[in-house]
Amino acid sequence: MTIHILNGFVYGGLLYILSVGLVLIFGLRRVVNFAHGGLFMVGAYVGYAVALHAGFFTGLAAAIAVLAAIGILLDIGVFRPLQRHDPLLTVLVTFGILLILEDLVRSIWGKDYVTVSVPALLSGNVEFLGLQYPVYRLMVIALALVTMAGLTLWLKRSAIGLHVRASSVDAVTTAMQGVNTDRVSATVVGIGAALAGMSGVVAGPLLTLSPSMGSYILVDCFIVVVVGGLGSFTGAFLAAMAIGQIHNFGIVYLPWAASSIPFLIMIGVLIWRPQGLAGGAST
Amino acid sequence: MTLLSFRDVASYYGSARILDGVSLEVGPGERIGVLGRNGVGKTTVANTILGIATMKAGRLEIGGREMKAPRHFDAAHAGISIVPQGRRIIPVLTVRENLQLGAATRRPGPWTVEAIYDLFPILRERADRPGTALSGGQQQMLAIGRALMANPDLLVLDEPSEGLAPVIVDQLVDVLNRLGRAGTAIMLIEQNIGFVRDVVERYYVLSKGRVVDQGRLDGVSLEALKAHVSV
Ligand SMILES: Nc1ncnc2c1ncn2[C@@H]1O[C@H](COP(=O)(O)OP(=O)(O)OP(=O)(O)O)[C@@H](O)[C@H]1O
Ligand SMILES: [Mg+2]
Repeated sequence: MTIHILNGFVYGGLLYILSVGLVLIFGLRRVVNFAHGGLFMVGAYVGYAVALHAGFFTGLAAAIAVLAAIGILLDIGVFRPLQRHDPLLTVLVTFGILLILEDLVRSIWGKDYVTVSVPALLSGNVEFLGLQYPVYRLMVIALALVTMAGLTLWLKRSAIGLHVRASSVDAVTTAMQGVNTDRVSATVVGIGAALAGMSGVVAGPLLTLSPSMGSYILVDCFIVVVVGGLGSFTGAFLAAMAIGQIHNFGIVYLPWAASSIPFLIMIGVLIWRPQGLAGGAST
Repeated sequence: MTLLSFRDVASYYGSARILDGVSLEVGPGERIGVLGRNGVGKTTVANTILGIATMKAGRLEIGGREMKAPRHFDAAHAGISIVPQGRRIIPVLTVRENLQLGAATRRPGPWTVEAIYDLFPILRERADRPGTALSGGQQQMLAIGRALMANPDLLVLDEPSEGLAPVIVDQLVDVLNRLGRAGTAIMLIEQNIGFVRDVVERYYVLSKGRVVDQGRLDGVSLEALKAHVSV
């Protein structure tokens, strides 16, 4: 039992790190970023490829850096020029980018599944809550908590965090105060993409790598964002943990329904509380 | 040197021309009024400085430097802070955070959060409340405080008396006169002629996107001015 709950938190933690980037980007750009799954997948492959030569942690650092750069380019090259157009157009473009990224990865690394092993430093088990539990999995939960704490501190305490919160609700008034909101957007999309890349690398040893892994997890990610309330950070955390639990218990006890339960929850939330569980409350 | 100068400026929203050859100037420490009826283009003067309305002809200078296509954040860095019509307090930020947002330019000067609290003590009492939990008059003070946090040379206020009780407007007169004596230039966009008279020394009257009258206030009767804004 405990082990299933812990596994649920591992998947939930992964989903949180991925979804919170989506929430950040949506909050600022009002863009539903389908490319986010692609960023996750590219992060996983960049981490894998670098890790082959330089080890897991160098791979992690490289993926974060590469994805941050891709995110900044995405904001400057796609979101900024399209900001005055129909949001549907931007959604379609991000969907196109997802497909392009999948093709690109397929042509470089092939379409076969790739497995990544747990880094030596974090291999093995440790005694936790009365059972032997993989160190790596515990570290994933810890990383999700650290990410949440770090983002909260950054948003609440730093000057840029203040500018991010302000421009999420009123970009024009924020800019009038002398804030370069274009730069704020590029920073935020860069951070969101870097988080997607980080979760991709971290997912490597847990899931198998394939070019379609991004579109696959993106579905759960959207469910998290809708259930948590678009633009809500706390909501995203709670929803990710809940979806992680449901995902895991579903696989164990109701394998035939495992993939549809999250959808049913999302539909229920959309009917009963369309603003999301934590929506309406700020951040 | 002038702090702000419009010369034959034409400004547009899309293809709609709103300002049709406006010229005006504000020098250091000057206090001017911009008057006119609803919809004549008063806010568009501020929006042109901010690059929200697009300038397609004429010349705009801020702090003596020509601005061909100002971006929203340029004016604040160049020493012009704008208190927008409707105040536009950021609801998800506290009173203190709304003030801190105004310090984004890091322009040096006397204004700090503490100095703003001394000017408007009610803001100190409400520091940790959401900015939009304040009354209309308090939100106007917050909007002025936020603009001052950039330590501007010129403070532009767009209809600050709108929706406020006369006693609150009297307080605003006091505050603006104190700022004026301290050397901050003021451009007061208003329809409340009594308020304008108590603050400014020179005025422009806008009608249909053009300056139709201007001059010094002394010697001009209240009635003559009111004729420009009454319907
Ligand atoms: N964003 C916009 N897009 C298109 N037209 C606009 C926009 N903002 C204002 N207008 C139009 O421009 C004209 C001038 O508007 P402006 O807001 O400058 O008037 P104003 O003098 O400030 O009026 P008020 O006293 O009501 O504030 C009006 O006809 C208005 O409908
Ligand atoms: Mg106006």
